[in-house]
Amino acid sequence: MHRLTHPGRPLGALVVLVVVAVLAGALSSPPAARSQAADVLLNVLATGAKKLNIVVPNFTVMAGSDTAGLSKSLPQVIARDLTFSALFSVVSDVPPVPAGDPNALRAAFANFASAGAHAGLLGLLTLRGDRAEVEMRLHDLTSPEYRLIATKKIDLPATQARRLAHKISDEVVLQFTGEAGVADTKIAYVGRVGTNKELHVMDYDGAGTARVTSNNSINLSPVWSPDTRSIAFTSYMRGYPYLYRMFPFEHRPVQVLAGFLGINTSPAFSPDGQSLALTLSRDGNPEVYVLNLTTGAFRRLTTYSGIDTEPTWSPTGREIAFVSERAGGAQIFVMDAEGANVRRLTQSGFNTQPRWSPKGDTIVYTSRQGNFDLWAISPDGSNLRRLTAGPGNNESASWAPNGRHLVFQSNRPGSYQLFTMLADGSEQQPLPRTSGEATSASWSPRLP
Amino acid sequence: MAHRGTALFAVPVLVLALFLVGCPKRPATTAASAPPPTGSPSPSSAAPSTTPGAMAPATAAPATAAPNTPPAPSEFSENANLKDVFFDFDKYDIRPGDAKILDANATWLKSNDNLVLIEGHCDERGTNEYNLALGERRAKSTMNYLVAQGVQASRITIISYGKERPTCTEHSEDCWAKNRRAHFLVKAR
Repeated sequence: MHRLTHPGRPLGALVVLVVVAVLAGALSSPPAARSQAADVLLNVLATGAKKLNIVVPNFTVMAGSDTAGLSKSLPQVIARDLTFSALFSVVSDVPPVPAGDPNALRAAFANFASAGAHAGLLGLLTLRGDRAEVEMRLHDLTSPEYRLIATKKIDLPATQARRLAHKISDEVVLQFTGEAGVADTKIAYVGRVGTNKELHVMDYDGAGTARVTSNNSINLSPVWSPDTRSIAFTSYMRGYPYLYRMFPFEHRPVQVLAGFLGINTSPAFSPDGQSLALTLSRDGNPEVYVLNLTTGAFRRLTTYSGIDTEPTWSPTGREIAFVSERAGGAQIFVMDAEGANVRRLTQSGFNTQPRWSPKGDTIVYTSRQGNFDLWAISPDGSNLRRLTAGPGNNESASWAPNGRHLVFQSNRPGSYQLFTMLADGSEQQPLPRTSGEATSASWSPRLP
Repeated sequence: MAHRGTALFAVPVLVLALFLVGCPKRPATTAASAPPPTGSPSPSSAAPSTTPGAMAPATAAPATAAPNTPPAPSEFSENANLKDVFFDFDKYDIRPGDAKILDANATWLKSNDNLVLIEGHCDERGTNEYNLALGERRAKSTMNYLVAQGVQASRITIISYGKERPTCTEHSEDCWAKNRRAHFLVKAR
């Protein structure tokens, strides 16, 4: 772990700092518990490289007929996943290596290593009936013997081949950083359909978009439950803004979570999934409540006579940040989960949409200072920084489960579409454009 | 290790070439190996699935757990005798000039025994969630004013649409001012 603080080469690049931050978790564990791959990445970064160079050749078909071309398409999906992680430079679209011939394999590795690759990811593909199985083999190309540092078999229905690729990508990131990647996740969002707004779900990379509500009304504020089985949201499907829960992967009816007079909005699941923070105006004005999802009991947390709304939980479940106008315009406050010890977090501007990082150290929010842009602040009020500076408005951020990426909405293309970026605001890039407006994204936890 | 590292960086041109050529382009190639968007999942998709890979459509819920349900908004209709009132940005207090409009609305409501629905609306700027709260406050301020003028509270239902139902869709202050409003609908008892 001394390598990170080695004074020999400054780790000036932003990307390196991100990598170092990710590795901090892996490094805090005893060295014996770290994977060999983490050492490979550390060694590479210690040389001054910004990213780890990994080659992902086309997969070797071991059995079955690859009529769908998975041996080529899966490595491409993995290449995009690993590139998105911002930890790797990836080379793919390379002919498969002769996995069964040690000498030929060694020669192939030597070629990759001499071209600058630090790691090689091989896939042995077996197609059996409607199942696809990949045995992934991760090799350290910086070691003289090109040692095998991880291997894993993953088996899924062939119809979920992209998911198979995402799981391999997440395993590679796990090996190198100590925490799995976020490729096997979904993003829920609000898509405009004519004059209505319906909920949609897609893969984290924009593939496989599906509309999951069709009630021809306004559906808002989707948010994933921690077990990824359900999405809480506000809907006008029955005329008034009630709060519901739907199960996008199950044939199961929508549940009403809160149907009081007034607004039933702004859902936020507690990290343990047992409770839901929300906004109700049933007592006369918008206040933050917590709904116990087991007993159905509502507990009121705030008592200000104006607007209190938009709760977001700390990952420990012990604190809740929220928006209140008790100090004048909209500002972000923090209270404990019982509603006591309220303290003001933001000081100037018009600040809404607080979202607590799953790592706990950052709250991202939307600030209006002319246009709307995303800012971040530590929960103790320190380390205020701006993440976006246009173009257009940049709003409604949602954290990836690793706390390294954010999805947000921007109208920079002319109408609202979804974008992703790293937590420091770098690497902003659009998700595939949708036909209508796309807003209010919620990044799911990792799928089981 | 050190020796090997030196060897790797002795060929930077080749490294660069390999990794520049090989880098996948985002997002233009994303669709290449992706199945085409399916739009709405087929309701007839047979096997119920609990695997996260397959999407199931949300079915309509049986009507439960909505206490004190007022008449549906669709049962109310426009009435030319009731005029909109408007609000300043991020405000929900009744402007002095608009109080006269509410006085006239109250007078009409006291002589016409209808139920009334007050819609609270916002302009397009800002969060859905915050605007839902703001629209609620606008409808509530308007309701409180009418009640103070002698309209029975039991006749009044409020609904916030936040920024979801603008009357004007241009992105200008003129348009935003028209959207920051309380609007009235009535229903015979």
